[in-house]
Amino acid sequence: MKRIVKSPWILCFLVLIIVILVAFNIPIEKRKYGLAQSGMTTDYTGLLPEHVDRVVKATNRTDLQNIVKQANLEGKHISIAGLQHSQGGHTYYKDGIVIDMRTFNKVMEVNKQEKTVRVEAGASWEDVQKAVQPYGLALKVTQSQSIFTIGGSLSVNAHGRDIRFGPMADMVKEITLLTPKGDIKTIRKNDALMGYVLGGYGLFGVILDVTLDLTDNELYTIHTNKMKTSEYESYFKDVQSNAEIAMHYARVSVAPSSFLDEMYAIDYYKTGKYDQKTKLKEESFVHLTKYSLDMGRQGGFLEDLFWNTQNLYMKQIENSQITRNNVMRSESTFMEFTKPGKVEVLQEFFVPVGEYGEYMKDLKQFLPANDADDDFKIHNITIRYAAKDKTTSLNYAKEDMLGLVILIQHGLQEDDVQNAKKMIQKWTDITLTHGGTYYLPYYPYQTKEQFKESYTNWKDFKDEKQKLDPNEVFINNFYQNYLK
Amino acid sequence: MKRKWNRLIPLIITVGQVVVFPYYVIWLKGVSLTFTLFAWLFATHSFSAAWGYRTFQTKKNKQKSHISFVYFGMGCAYLVVGQFNIEMDLLPYIALILQVLLGFLQGYFRAWHVEQDSYHLHAVNHYILVGWIMISLSFIKIISPVVIISMFGWLLCGCGLLKMLGKNVSN
Ligand SMILES: Cc1cc2nc3c(=O)[nH]c(=O)nc-3n(C[C@H](O)[C@H](O)[C@H](O)COP(=O)(O)OP(=O)(O)OC[C@H]3O[C@@H](n4cnc5c(N)ncnc54)[C@H](O)[C@@H]3O)c2cc1C
Repeated sequence: MKRIVKSPWILCFLVLIIVILVAFNIPIEKRKYGLAQSGMTTDYTGLLPEHVDRVVKATNRTDLQNIVKQANLEGKHISIAGLQHSQGGHTYYKDGIVIDMRTFNKVMEVNKQEKTVRVEAGASWEDVQKAVQPYGLALKVTQSQSIFTIGGSLSVNAHGRDIRFGPMADMVKEITLLTPKGDIKTIRKNDALMGYVLGGYGLFGVILDVTLDLTDNELYTIHTNKMKTSEYESYFKDVQSNAEIAMHYARVSVAPSSFLDEMYAIDYYKTGKYDQKTKLKEESFVHLTKYSLDMGRQGGFLEDLFWNTQNLYMKQIENSQITRNNVMRSESTFMEFTKPGKVEVLQEFFVPVGEYGEYMKDLKQFLPANDADDDFKIHNITIRYAAKDKTTSLNYAKEDMLGLVILIQHGLQEDDVQNAKKMIQKWTDITLTHGGTYYLPYYPYQTKEQFKESYTNWKDFKDEKQKLDPNEVFINNFYQNYLK
Repeated sequence: MKRKWNRLIPLIITVGQVVVFPYYVIWLKGVSLTFTLFAWLFATHSFSAAWGYRTFQTKKNKQKSHISFVYFGMGCAYLVVGQFNIEMDLLPYIALILQVLLGFLQGYFRAWHVEQDSYHLHAVNHYILVGWIMISLSFIKIISPVVIISMFGWLLCGCGLLKMLGKNVSN
């Protein structure tokens, strides 16, 4: 100790070490959103702040039943909130009651023999993964991250990297539902009501718990391939017919020098080995990935540099092994974005697999390759497969589709929002001409007409809603915007 | 007159540092995102101050103290604090660098100050002045911390300039 205090150089060295330690532990600032934003409720983007009457934490079924019955009597409105990653006010309504499902999150039973899990709907995929992983089991379909609730995911009928088990709706065996009248009901596969509750955006009652089919937590080998965008359509058809590939996704370049020309495909090959021991992965290298994305966010040559670093990353992961559970829990913190006056939103457009090549050509005509000086910037495009869905009423995949998930940044000034609206509406038009649709959990830049053209079943959905919930007890901004 | 100023400057600086401290803490807390980071930033300051203190103590020629540059350095650090928008992504990193810089310079300054004849007289005046100033500031309700911090930054730069001029005149 004496020696340390005596020499200024040793002290200097100590300071250096501390500085390095602190610099690596500076946390990434997270978006502030949700149910308690100074009296106003928001969701993930914070774009639609609204006053709500009160927020009720879901704890037991009888209380929830009473709230619904009371709302019927008093003409009150209820919205349901999971982790609120939806972006268009889907989880709240002006002066309504919000049921916060996050506290309703027990994993009730894991059945190893039947490969099923029964879980309360406020649990996240992460909770389910923690419960099923020790049995060597994994989920069949989830988003690529595990940060969402089961109820929230089923209510949008989400999709991810799996290409073998069909839409998310197909893995649901049974649902316990609190109906708009306040009854508790069990609904099973093939019940007509299933198609309205799944992908029903919380408009047909509260999903209390669900029983989901599981599969084995297989070990996969990652193979990555760089290709021209024009080659991807036939590449993907080969992937589909190759039974050895269990999961897949792809990235499209948004860097100016290879804009919409280059792609990486990431395939997960079966190894036939099953895993019970590998730990669920935690977020790693968060700062590195966050600052790489921040670099890409600057646009121009920095975005080229970002694309090239992804090239290095692809080389690094080539031939590495990963469990099914870990494929389904990608990092998310690196996406945090808190720049004042700007917002980052997601949009997703689906086109039939056979239309992909032509669609990308049209997009290339429409979008500027270098958006460094524009307000409307595209930071990332990934491609997911959305299998043909025969269950849900508001169906975004009437045939096998490829979904382009797009990360967009734009300003919050009125002009900027209007410009973003114009761009996204044009983009939607292009998608519609290719027989495509767009995804509904995000901010509603689209017009009501575009909604109706995309979701041709909308009338049936609305009629059923009015039949089952004549008092419009379950309502949210999504309903208000598109269906009222 | 010049001699008097030169004797007064260290007192102004010690008093100013204490007065500006609460405002600086508010700024630092705003930048820190978590309490852990806040505490670590303070720890960094302390270790740097030990380094600065020891650097002066082990200096061979203490007459050549470069104290005017120390005033300038501290002044610039406070001015930087006043310049940055609280919403910037890089702010915690900037705060970390500033903590090292301020810690080192404050440690160095203190080691120099205790060796001055006027140090003990300053100590008493320092406590009394800080008391009065803090009471006065408590009546000023709406003032942003960065305004006070920037004002102190300018004052320190002024002191650096005076000190330099004083030295040139005596040379
Ligand atoms: C960063 C990010 C990445 C994403 N990645 C993907 C992806 O890879 N694939 C994909 O398909 N989607 C993706 N999404 C969209 C996401 O799947 C949906 O927004 C999903 O709804 C989020 O779940 P949540 O728990 O946050 O639901 P919330 O936003 O809380 O709720 C969504 C809807 O579900 C309803 N709801 C919630 N809980 C219940 C319940 N218990 N009963 C009845 N209704 C309920 C709500 O009322 C609301 O209408 C992504 C979103 C973000 C922000």
